[in-house]
Amino acid sequence: MRLRALAAFVFLGGFLLSGNAQDDRLISGRGATLTENKCKICHELQHIRRTPLSRGEWADNLRNMKERGTPMDEAETAIILDYLSTYYSRDPAPPPAPDTLASGGDPIQKLLNASACLGCHALDKRVVGPSFREVAAKHAGDPGAAERLAAKIRTGGQGAWGVVPMPPNSGLSDADLKTLAGWVLGQK
Amino acid sequence: MEKWKKPDESRRSFLTGVAGAGALAALGDVLAQAPAAAPEAPPPGTIPGEAVKAEKVKAMQFHSERPLTGSVPAHEHDFDVTPNERMFVRNNLLTPMIDINPHRLTVKGLVDKELSFSVYDLAKNFTTVTLQGMIECAGSGRSAYQPRASGTPWLETGGMGCPKWGGVRLADVLRAAGVKPGAAHVAGQGGDPGAVATAAPVIRSIPMQKAMEENTLLAWAMNGEPLPWVHGYPLRLVVPGWVGSASTKWLHTLTVLDAPFKGTYMTGSYIVPRNPIEPGQKMPPDAVSAEAWPVKSMITSPAPNARFKRSEPIAVRGRAWVGEGSVERVEVSTDEGKTWRPAQLARAGDKYAWRTFTFEHKPERPGYVTFLARAWDDRGNPQPAVPYWNPLGYFWNGWHRVGVVVEA
Repeated sequence: MRLRALAAFVFLGGFLLSGNAQDDRLISGRGATLTENKCKICHELQHIRRTPLSRGEWADNLRNMKERGTPMDEAETAIILDYLSTYYSRDPAPPPAPDTLASGGDPIQKLLNASACLGCHALDKRVVGPSFREVAAKHAGDPGAAERLAAKIRTGGQGAWGVVPMPPNSGLSDADLKTLAGWVLGQK
Repeated sequence: MEKWKKPDESRRSFLTGVAGAGALAALGDVLAQAPAAAPEAPPPGTIPGEAVKAEKVKAMQFHSERPLTGSVPAHEHDFDVTPNERMFVRNNLLTPMIDINPHRLTVKGLVDKELSFSVYDLAKNFTTVTLQGMIECAGSGRSAYQPRASGTPWLETGGMGCPKWGGVRLADVLRAAGVKPGAAHVAGQGGDPGAVATAAPVIRSIPMQKAMEENTLLAWAMNGEPLPWVHGYPLRLVVPGWVGSASTKWLHTLTVLDAPFKGTYMTGSYIVPRNPIEPGQKMPPDAVSAEAWPVKSMITSPAPNARFKRSEPIAVRGRAWVGEGSVERVEVSTDEGKTWRPAQLARAGDKYAWRTFTFEHKPERPGYVTFLARAWDDRGNPQPAVPYWNPLGYFWNGWHRVGVVVEA
């Protein structure tokens, strides 16, 4: 299966290449990181940015991409469809601000949104990474957990929950990291 | 980008083979040569975008890097035959680096006997043909649609070209394999790899009638040279006049089928609504496969906003083509479509080649002058001012307009 090995190589190469295009980003919002990561496997994100579509067209588009081979399950597809038809909508209504997910100005929601945590994590189910409740349960009763989790959020990493790496969040302040880690560990 | 070049010796000998003269001797030469050591490619086994770009003119505008797409604007396409370095680039996946020597074309499905050919076998066993023919991406001109349609934002006059193709007739090869009763479509599969192992192979099928048409080729030469990497080296289908996706690049398998192939490149892309729909709506369920291009033309000279003296006549030149049938006439308007005058149409060449038209305009006063071109086919169809919108932005063939300045 030389071809398969080649494809795997190409896949890794693509990942490395996409790492160079740091400025190739989508509008921040729930599902942005997941959408970026899936779509960037094969094409640049300008394909999304330059053509807002209706929800029906995005649904067709995602089905087409899935058929073409995008590794993307139903839960991921649903998140990406919601994201694209919210932030890249053909409809004239302006996209809601990223934190409409939260009611009002909840500082935790703002942090979660600003860091695109919700692209990969949800409260009580696995998306790309573990749910916040799983993380909390894993560290229950561990007095050093908050500090280690804060460090993990800052540097990212791979291996604790699976092979998909978590990107670093180097822009967060110590205070924000502490707030986020404390909140995650409280989700039981 | 020297290291991406194919061996020169191989090129020359191969060419002789295509031309027919001394074909056997030349082909023997080619077969005796060891292929150039396969250079390392990032990602492995593929040609990097930079190497493709290096073979193109500076005027080529690239719309995306992954997948690589690019074309030249109309005024950089003022040629009777599109040169290789100006031919548009459009891949669905990555550009593979395929060694011609071990490469085989397999013919299977509803045939009496399954066959396998090297490119040299094809040249040796079948009549070689050279013909000029249009290849135009289904989405050519997409950026002119309002509202915007999803996909590569081809310029109004980008995403097409008309080189000379060299190879053998697909019909001859299918006849050699023996097409069984009930054969309806022929599917071509290309060897281009995707970025993920799960990537669907690029497979398109064309109706038997089109496959057996004498202008449908299995081509290995483009303007007398081996196909450039990005244009399908070492072998591709050329289905001239039809949407570009029918002309499968890096072809390795032909499958004769009793129905159109069912796959994402048939059912999810390259489809258009059967009847016009409201702009901005999603694809209706009764969509049909995109096949032949409707009649179209573009003005290739002068360039937009070129300057002319009032005393000098302005030579307007362009190209006109249609996917099936023939171009009957081309008209030019200098009053935004109020009146139209006939352009001179060059004699018809190969059936699917574009035709050059010329029109002379003597400016009557200084200022801004616009030229509109409108071609008609032999079935009475003119180019529309604006074609019907469709969700994937295919088949743009609206009037091309170029404005110039006449100085006092």
